[in-house]
Amino acid sequence: MSLPLTGSKSLINATLEFLRKFDLLVIAALFLLLTPLISADRAIDFMIFCIFVLAYDLLYGYMGRLSFGHMLYLGVGAYAFALSGEYISGNPFLALLIAMGSGAALGLILGPIIVRTTGACFALINLAFNQVGFFLALVAFSRWTGGEDGMSTYFKKIWIIDFSKKTTVFCFALLCLILVIFFLRRLTSSLFGILLRGIKENETRVKFLGYNTFALKMVAFMVSTSLSAFAGALFILNYNYVTTSFIDPLRSVEVIFASLIGGAGSVYGALIGGVSYKLISNYLPNYIQRWEMFLGVILLLLVFKFRTGVWGYIMALLKRLEQPAAVESEHRSEISR
Amino acid sequence: MISTLAYGLTVGGILYIISIGLSLTFGTMRIVNFAHALVYTLGAYILVTALPKLGLGFFLSGLIAVIAVIPVSYLIERYVIRRLYGQSVDYAIIATYAVLLIGVDAIKWIWGAIPIPLSDPVGISVSILGIDLPGYRLIIILISLLIFVGLEVFFSRTVVGKIIVAGLEDKEAVASLGISVDKYFAVAFTLGSCLAALGGVLYAPITAVNPYMGFQVLLICFAVVVVGGLGSIRGTFLAAFALGMVMSVTGRFWGPAADTMVFVVLGLVLILKPIEA
Repeated sequence: MSLPLTGSKSLINATLEFLRKFDLLVIAALFLLLTPLISADRAIDFMIFCIFVLAYDLLYGYMGRLSFGHMLYLGVGAYAFALSGEYISGNPFLALLIAMGSGAALGLILGPIIVRTTGACFALINLAFNQVGFFLALVAFSRWTGGEDGMSTYFKKIWIIDFSKKTTVFCFALLCLILVIFFLRRLTSSLFGILLRGIKENETRVKFLGYNTFALKMVAFMVSTSLSAFAGALFILNYNYVTTSFIDPLRSVEVIFASLIGGAGSVYGALIGGVSYKLISNYLPNYIQRWEMFLGVILLLLVFKFRTGVWGYIMALLKRLEQPAAVESEHRSEISR
Repeated sequence: MISTLAYGLTVGGILYIISIGLSLTFGTMRIVNFAHALVYTLGAYILVTALPKLGLGFFLSGLIAVIAVIPVSYLIERYVIRRLYGQSVDYAIIATYAVLLIGVDAIKWIWGAIPIPLSDPVGISVSILGIDLPGYRLIIILISLLIFVGLEVFFSRTVVGKIIVAGLEDKEAVASLGISVDKYFAVAFTLGSCLAALGGVLYAPITAVNPYMGFQVLLICFAVVVVGGLGSIRGTFLAAFALGMVMSVTGRFWGPAADTMVFVVLGLVLILKPIEA
């Protein structure tokens, strides 16, 4: 849009243009600004959680498959990272690669069973596998994983990168987040991403166009599992210990909540959701004792009143600012559909 | 051997009683109802409250618990489930999970998070082929069989039951006959909720009553509903007892693996027969 720079409207447009062009830098700057407000420890936690939400949103927001057991993939990454640090080598980068690889391998093994299902079955079978994984980590492999007590990890210093320093972890997590955002944005704006959204709307039609939807879903699923595993590994890099809470199926709702609150199907929505959820879960229990109840009420409100989430709301607002007439007609077309 | 069998039948019976409501909700309204676990937990909590306060004995208190969940299930149906009707399955899952979160937190608020143990209400044991079996377990098996027969009669002989079965098959066709299907689905929902509370009541003496007792059972019941064929009433019966046996046989060899084995079976079933739902 090339409007002359006069009046407040063009100023808004210019700002938006700037934000769109340098969004990665803006996101990085916002996280840096957030750090003094909360603590660095929390900021790292927030950024890693955002990576997890982004990975989850690829399946939920773009492909339209609600997984109710995504903690499994996070947990596998976390345990793969911790175990490879313990038994293979103390190199954290190698361990991160192993964690991502094991997430992808798990996606490859479970994918053919999981991606064939849709809707409720997809949610429940993920939950079932998560339960199996939780049991394996808690009971069956407790000799290696430490069961309920968990295990602590230690990693060697590589060159000048020492992950026992919080600043290093912070910079690394920020870098990873930016890279993941960049990668996912490229992926979702490519033909592949458009086809994924097509699968969400109507899988039969995508099939009809001659695309192998099974392969598309498998790739999306594996990208999501390996990125979730990567996020799990980063969590362990930050905390230096792993417990079964990283694979607990009851915590799967956290990422769903984050994805909903920000608005599914958008990279920025996932970021807003991740940060908002973490802010709520970190600070709300200090003020309200019954915060689970509060969470439930917010979830109900989101489902019944604000399905598009915060980002969807912002987008609708911007659209109204840019072209008021277009919104009207879109509303009408939505009603007729 | 016989005790394993009896345990499997007991677990299967309880699973059947709880799952039937889930199966009905899914079959009629295409909704995966996580709030079912709340009703189940609530039933058990009302039982442990009514038992010492009223002094009516176990079975009367259980009856009170079953009746007491009716208003709760009505509220859930009226204000959450009915609004989700015909919408995407995802939102139904999230909304009913939110109800479960709110309810479990409310239970923690009222009763506290400490598990409440309950003693065996019957106490006598029956000897079959030289092996002593707790009489209470036999009563559970008997009750579940009675409920199965009762539901069979309800669904095949009464008008309300027939409408619900017809609605399971084809909702539009039933609605076009001038029958207000949603009203009958609400009946099915309430019936399922009462049975869930009954399941909670019957299971309470076997485990301790705690706020999170619903979560674990709910997952297994979902497995029962999926294995039995979504929305199939007889399939649910068979699947419940089959998975109950799986649990008890696994539990005999390796206790902690009992629940997990159910999900392995679920995975196998979904590999062999994926469901489009």
